[in-house]
Amino acid sequence: MHREEQRESVLDPRFPRQTLVSILVFAVVWEVMSHLAPSLGIPAFAIPSFVRIGQSLLTITPIDVAVTLARVIGALAVSFVLGLVLAMAMYRSQSLENYLHPLIRILMAVPVVSWILFAVLWFRGVEFRIGFVLVAVCGPVFLIDSLDAMRGVPRELRGMMRSFRPTTLQYFVKLMLPAIVPNIITSWKINLSLAIRVVTIAELVGAVTGIGHQLAVAQELFSVADVFAWTLVLVALLFLLEAMVIHIENRLLRWRA
Amino acid sequence: MSGPPPIEVRDLRKVFRQTTTGQSVVAIERLDLNIAPREVVAIVGQTGCGKSTFFDLMIGLEQPSGGSIRIGDKSPYSDFDYFRGRMATVFQQDRLLPWRSAIDNVRLPLELIGLPDEVQHERSLSWLKRLGLEKFTNAYPHELSGGMRQRVAIARAFVVQPDILLADEAFGHLDEVTAAELRETFLALAREFGSTAILITHQLEEAIGVGDRIIVFGKSAALLADVRVAAWPKSEYLLLREAIQATLQSNRPDPRLAR
Repeated sequence: MHREEQRESVLDPRFPRQTLVSILVFAVVWEVMSHLAPSLGIPAFAIPSFVRIGQSLLTITPIDVAVTLARVIGALAVSFVLGLVLAMAMYRSQSLENYLHPLIRILMAVPVVSWILFAVLWFRGVEFRIGFVLVAVCGPVFLIDSLDAMRGVPRELRGMMRSFRPTTLQYFVKLMLPAIVPNIITSWKINLSLAIRVVTIAELVGAVTGIGHQLAVAQELFSVADVFAWTLVLVALLFLLEAMVIHIENRLLRWRA
Repeated sequence: MSGPPPIEVRDLRKVFRQTTTGQSVVAIERLDLNIAPREVVAIVGQTGCGKSTFFDLMIGLEQPSGGSIRIGDKSPYSDFDYFRGRMATVFQQDRLLPWRSAIDNVRLPLELIGLPDEVQHERSLSWLKRLGLEKFTNAYPHELSGGMRQRVAIARAFVVQPDILLADEAFGHLDEVTAAELRETFLALAREFGSTAILITHQLEEAIGVGDRIIVFGKSAALLADVRVAAWPKSEYLLLREAIQATLQSNRPDPRLAR
């Protein structure tokens, strides 16, 4: 095997050897600790064995996974559309940007917990509360990223496009949106992990379905195995969504290959 | 076919306000110019003389601070939409959209006009063939050489068969052989379609080789000379070049240009 090929196989992202090794080491240490825990004075439930976690994984209810997934995707879609439309409006109108930009910066500094408390105090519907929190957290990220990306579109391309006299809609559809696709994809990646974390916290408060709710139940039952299992599902869900975004990215940005 | 309208530039003035100092900078100071239909005009001048500002005003991207540009009875700035599909540009860099293939770049102006998809495809393809790029229709700009990319840019300009063509230093960044070849192609196409063409350039050979007229800009686009190339036999092109060079250097019309 050539040196280059060897190097590629070591770094191949589909089979990252170092990742496998680190996960394996963690799993072995965890399993050993789960057996040694009682002799060390740690309660047995605190570090459940993988057999026990496996049993919890078998009790995972797909409906809760689907509900959380729907909440995340729905809220991200709304955040994306709102963020993009507002970014386009702010790009077109300097005065609108002057008014809105400071406000959005302030919104971005508000902690997630505060948004959850506002949602609980302001709204009655659980779905609306969760949606509100997610949009409040993720919307500004889409907006600021899109606006910055639009401002970064090369002056030469903007001048070329304008010289062909597009309508405002054509200007955005033919130039601005394709030009900012790489930034939009990055925003989606950031917001996916943000939304997965935020939705769980939001579901802890008042929801009767979803992964966050199931985590709350597991906490009430002192079941670390259930918490571990639901957390594994959350992580897997995030990886799955990220893989989908990367797939879309590869399709949309194939021109960069 | 009615052909392109005449261009009248009257008392044109453009002043910019510097954002940092707040001071006013006069880019164009009272320019008068007439360009006849189907004329090929080369505009030469030193860097910073207002050529590019004139180019932006001609396209309608900038509003004149005073005076007017009339193309027929329309203004490229006030009647911006009217010139969609009637005016096309070739820039110094090709300015192709990197996410579009060669054929999709060429069809861009046709999409903006709103022609049917089949017409867009056929026309774009025929222009790429005409410019010798039939094997590269689906290639992305980064897969093409500089000369090929500029060919795509030329195809993009001609695909709408515009009345008026503007080229800003369109061949200056290419090697001499490619530049000469593309200049000839550009000129032949402009003549074939009867377009009025305005070329901004800093290369005197290019101006002499391409233009029916050479307009020499001094500081703030002051009209230093308006040379009809046909009045100069080819054997005197060297003299013409020297006279324009002297005009540019002294910022005064060289007496040898008076013919």
